Amino acid sequence: MGNIIGKVAATEKAPTNIDYFHFWCAHDLILHPFDVISVEHVRGSKTFGMVEDISHITDSPSFLTDYISNDFGDVKASSNTERINMNYVRAKVVANTKGIFIPVLNGAKVMLASENEIEEALGLKDVKNPLVCGYLEMYESVDEAQKVRLPVKVNSKFLLGSEGAHLNISGISGLAAKTSYAMFLLKSIQDTKFQEEADNDIAFIMVNVKGKDLLAIDQENDEFSENEKAEVVSEYEMLGLSPKPVTNVKYYYPYSKSTASYSNTYASKEHIEFQKNLRQAFFYKFLYSEDKDNLELMFSNIDDPTQTMDAIINYIMHGHGRFGSITTWHQFLEEVENNCKAGANTEKEITVSSWRKFRRIVKRSIHNNPIFAQNANRDEGEIRLEDTIKEIKKGDIYVVDIAKLDDGMQSFVFGDIMRGVRNLKLGEYDEELQGRDYSIPNKIVIFVDELNKYASSDVPKNSPILRQIIDIAERGRSLGIVLFAAEQFRSSIHDRVKGNCSTHAYGRTNAIEISKRDYSFVPNVYQNMMTRLKQGEYIVQNPVFRSLISIKFPRPIYKQFK
Amino acid sequence: MSEILDIIAKETGHKSFKTHKMVYDSLNYPSIDYDDNSNIIWKNYGERIHHKMAVNLHDTLQDLPNDSEPLFKFFLDGSRRTYKVDDISISNQVFPVMAGQVGVGCCKRDKRRLSHQESYNHNVVTLPRQADSDGWDIELFCNRLVNKINDLNTLKKHNIRFDRILIYDFVKSEDIKLENKGIAKIQDYMIDLEKKMVAEIVNQDLLSNTSFLIKDGSIEYKKMKTGNYRELAKIRNNYRYVIGVSKSFNPERCQDNTGQINSRAIANLKLYHRTPVYMYQSEIVDSVDDPVYFAIWYLRIRDRKYTKSPYEGILKVEKILTTDNEINDGMDSEQVDYISINLIKERNPVCWGKDTRWANHLYPVYLTETYVKSQFISSNYFLNIF
Repeated sequence: MGNIIGKVAATEKAPTNIDYFHFWCAHDLILHPFDVISVEHVRGSKTFGMVEDISHITDSPSFLTDYISNDFGDVKASSNTERINMNYVRAKVVANTKGIFIPVLNGAKVMLASENEIEEALGLKDVKNPLVCGYLEMYESVDEAQKVRLPVKVNSKFLLGSEGAHLNISGISGLAAKTSYAMFLLKSIQDTKFQEEADNDIAFIMVNVKGKDLLAIDQENDEFSENEKAEVVSEYEMLGLSPKPVTNVKYYYPYSKSTASYSNTYASKEHIEFQKNLRQAFFYKFLYSEDKDNLELMFSNIDDPTQTMDAIINYIMHGHGRFGSITTWHQFLEEVENNCKAGANTEKEITVSSWRKFRRIVKRSIHNNPIFAQNANRDEGEIRLEDTIKEIKKGDIYVVDIAKLDDGMQSFVFGDIMRGVRNLKLGEYDEELQGRDYSIPNKIVIFVDELNKYASSDVPKNSPILRQIIDIAERGRSLGIVLFAAEQFRSSIHDRVKGNCSTHAYGRTNAIEISKRDYSFVPNVYQNMMTRLKQGEYIVQNPVFRSLISIKFPRPIYKQFK
Repeated sequence: MSEILDIIAKETGHKSFKTHKMVYDSLNYPSIDYDDNSNIIWKNYGERIHHKMAVNLHDTLQDLPNDSEPLFKFFLDGSRRTYKVDDISISNQVFPVMAGQVGVGCCKRDKRRLSHQESYNHNVVTLPRQADSDGWDIELFCNRLVNKINDLNTLKKHNIRFDRILIYDFVKSEDIKLENKGIAKIQDYMIDLEKKMVAEIVNQDLLSNTSFLIKDGSIEYKKMKTGNYRELAKIRNNYRYVIGVSKSFNPERCQDNTGQINSRAIANLKLYHRTPVYMYQSEIVDSVDDPVYFAIWYLRIRDRKYTKSPYEGILKVEKILTTDNEINDGMDSEQVDYISINLIKERNPVCWGKDTRWANHLYPVYLTETYVKSQFISSNYFLNIF
């Protein structure tokens, strides 16, 4: 483009340096934080800077000067001459065309960057294994003709492995549109050709934790007006994605008896019946004989400093007492009940009060809960989640609904999924799966919202789910298990979990959150921007990008429930 | 790099002492530097209405619509920085070598914003007439010397050039510091550039009765011995739409037609009042054959209660009378009022906190002055050229 918008100013108090420089520009030039500008530099090179802060300055040394300039405080006073003023911009150096990083020189011309230059500056050019993660817009307020809209692509190997893995999405509920963004990425992954490559087959497991959010992700969004639809379609097409919802989805609902409605889910009976007819809806159950080993997952958020709960679980899992001969959840609860009676306890190390605490927790989840059943009839669409995970194939999208379950049960189900996926990728089921005509997907992406429930820094350190999540965060890249997690407050997530995420997406958050240590590396202006981001706007950090990037993504094209 | 001094020593054939180089402007004791130069004796009224008392402009100001186009479109100011760069010995007499940066700038105002219209930035050196040992063609000597200086590679590399060698006269009997003689030459040179700039603005047809120029300081230019615009009488028509506005003036020099000092009347001016306009013929400007008449009045633009001294907040306004009607009958009083209220309208914004003369400064003039000074290279840099 080459139109000059200002010049670099290096002063005694604000010199240019390797990382930063300032330039002045007209006071009515509308730039935004994250806009990229180019600067003429030595040896015919160009340095690219990213706008971090914009200040307006006059020659007025104090507020008093301005007060006096209005006839000593007369609000009606006017002047023939505008006080001299200008804007100056603080920009962060992000790249140089010839790799020259000496400070840019005073008086160097500053220009708006061309599309090509923006791509070069941000590291978006010639990205290998490109995967669209949104688009950026720049200069939209400078002039319509100058407006730049560019798809932003990440190297998928830095998001899905093998170079880096895991995504953390943070932002306050509703306004940040975390689920929508995760779904957009899923759509992008599904549409991207690389997954057709034999060694890059991917399957997805999504955990629905809120209402009916993810229970119709393969159905079209019917909320759009004609114009909105056209706009959304054009955005998807601009990004090289089809404007259609994702396909190949199966929904797994917690089993409940079919009456007027299903009591364990927010989905309506009609909705589920519709999916059942398409052979897309299934009900998951837990059988005592197969799933008793997962009992510890119910205690993920229970503080157990004396490890008495742990001792009881071990006692049960090893079949001590009469637990060895139990085959149903009903018998299990009875036996727990027996151990709670005074004097009935034969295991001296475990007190009756501990058994009573154990009973309170398991009974709340298991008692009268149809998910805990004696058998699962596959012909009726009833399955065990672990068995289903064993059958996952390339391109499959599983949606597991846990929204209406209580906290303990949500942990139990999510833990079961994590454990199942981990066992699958570790080859624990290999013998069982021998002779199958398809292979385990190379990568399995697990998406879960409300990560803070399972991996917050407040979760007891011995929580089995936390252990699993940390294990996946740290070893998942090599195992082919990728965690896409979302939470309201990133600062509350365990350091080892977020530290192992290669990609971070920051949606709208609040002022308290940005004051936390997690955001200390983010410049103040960007921090404040985080509190003003609109739905559909994210600030993304990825090892491939040379800086944080502000992106947008289109409105969801799958069915939305109010 | 003392190459310049070496060239001066070589060309003049005299010894250079390479003494301490210094900025000269800041060496003097603080004193009040008035913008006006001569005693002002108000002999005749300079306007058609012969006001006996100060004129209240409040109502006239109120009548001027807020969005009216300002009368003043151009603002001109000159500035100079002087340096003592060496001493040379000529015939057992030591003479200072003075140098200066001279800047003159004119800014234009359009839609409330100031922009550059014209500027000159010159570097000069002053030497005593005795520096030319031949003494027959001083102009040739100066041109040759300045060319030699400008041929220096070090200057070319730094993109610096000198415009003129200025010569000052030395008479042994005079009791004037030689440094001041050099500075006076630099000052004259600056004034000549100011006049040149006014001439250029006029040639470009930029001034009219709706587009005036404010020149910072007095326009009572004394007759000079040298320079292209040495006689104001010959260029007075350039000043038809120009007024000189002085921030500082010597109240002791204002005498009325009875010879009484009129400073009290000026000090007692109320807010937005002006004195009657008086006409006077400057003693320092011209010859008897071709007199130049000035109209002069004082105007208070700031309330006395906000200023430290009674003369703060008062502007001295000068206008050269250019037509026979004006010379015979004085300026049209309505025009005086119009100029005055337009000056009052220039009272905001202020440079309070940046310039102690804020009460007497007009902001666009202040900006022009700042612009001119911003074009100077730093004093350390300049001194080290020598």
